[in-house]
Amino acid sequence: MSEVGEVHDLDPEVFEREVRTFDHWFGAVQDYLSDLEHGHRADIASEELAADEVDRLTTALCNYAVAETAALEASSGLVRLAPNHASKIFLATQAVDEARHVEVILQRLEDIGVEDPAAEIERRANPAVREFKNRLLYLVDSNQWDLAIFAQNVSLEAMEFSAFRAHATVGDPVTCDMLERMLRDERRHLGFGENEIARCLRTDPSRGAQIASVKNELESLAINTFEYTAKELEVESDTITKLGRDYRDAVERLGL
Amino acid sequence: MSGSSHAAAEAGDSPGKIKETKPRRRYELDDRGFDEVPRKYRKYYRKWEGPDDELAPNEALCPVCKIVMRSVRELRDGDQLYCMACMTRVRIVSGENGRLETRVTY
Repeated sequence: MSEVGEVHDLDPEVFEREVRTFDHWFGAVQDYLSDLEHGHRADIASEELAADEVDRLTTALCNYAVAETAALEASSGLVRLAPNHASKIFLATQAVDEARHVEVILQRLEDIGVEDPAAEIERRANPAVREFKNRLLYLVDSNQWDLAIFAQNVSLEAMEFSAFRAHATVGDPVTCDMLERMLRDERRHLGFGENEIARCLRTDPSRGAQIASVKNELESLAINTFEYTAKELEVESDTITKLGRDYRDAVERLGL
Repeated sequence: MSGSSHAAAEAGDSPGKIKETKPRRRYELDDRGFDEVPRKYRKYYRKWEGPDDELAPNEALCPVCKIVMRSVRELRDGDQLYCMACMTRVRIVSGENGRLETRVTY
């Protein structure tokens, strides 16, 4: 391991280049993803869940599965649209993260007794998150780089970030550990999105109106999904309000 | 000094170009088990424990991802920090009542 000087003294260009490399991604994930079983620490004892707890957890996981599948399909599609190699490489690492999330959520559904996760997702997923997925994929398919990045890496990621943090305050130990490892990935996705949108706005401020229009169109879907899932899980309303601020703060920082 | 190992209060050195008159306190950072960045950067970060988690003078909270960023120096207005967990640049600014706050630099 090479020693580094004060990391905060790095030149901004050196920092930007480094954090979007595959090496950085691998160095970031290698410890928290090692020695896991189905996305969580193998030594965590599984708690016996009551029937109503299983039911609520199943619904939450079905919603997460739709959101994560949306991000997997969108981020892999966005690799082709990315304006430079660094962004393409970052989005490829994001696609890997999202694929892992989909896999561990499906596995968790099976572990709590869901025999056919795909059918259960189809039956239970909230219409708002399905609609969000459709609109996100439409933006990707119509080559709208900045709008799709906003929808995915700002709106969707902020919703997931809030939902997973809220869930982690009330969930069983196995699910919490799984979600906390997913949250570590989400931090990178959120940061990439916010910085990329800011860069787009700096380069072409006229894009602000269109990004704001997508924001207005999608934020109610994202917020509805987050609030619905958090209420299903019986998260305290105070916590829901506080965590919901993450998204509003990000939008405010971007001036949208 | 809850957030960081305190090493010494030395003569001032500045990350910026402006000569500072008041010396900055320096800190020796220890690894707090933050495993979301490559190992060589880990000592510069730690998890935030929530609103009751008091930040040390060399620490600031990333406004984007809520991770505590740590410096070897006491932080001052104008300093730049990097959050490697979410790839964000942050600047320290003096807020109301002289309290240090963070602003994202895009």
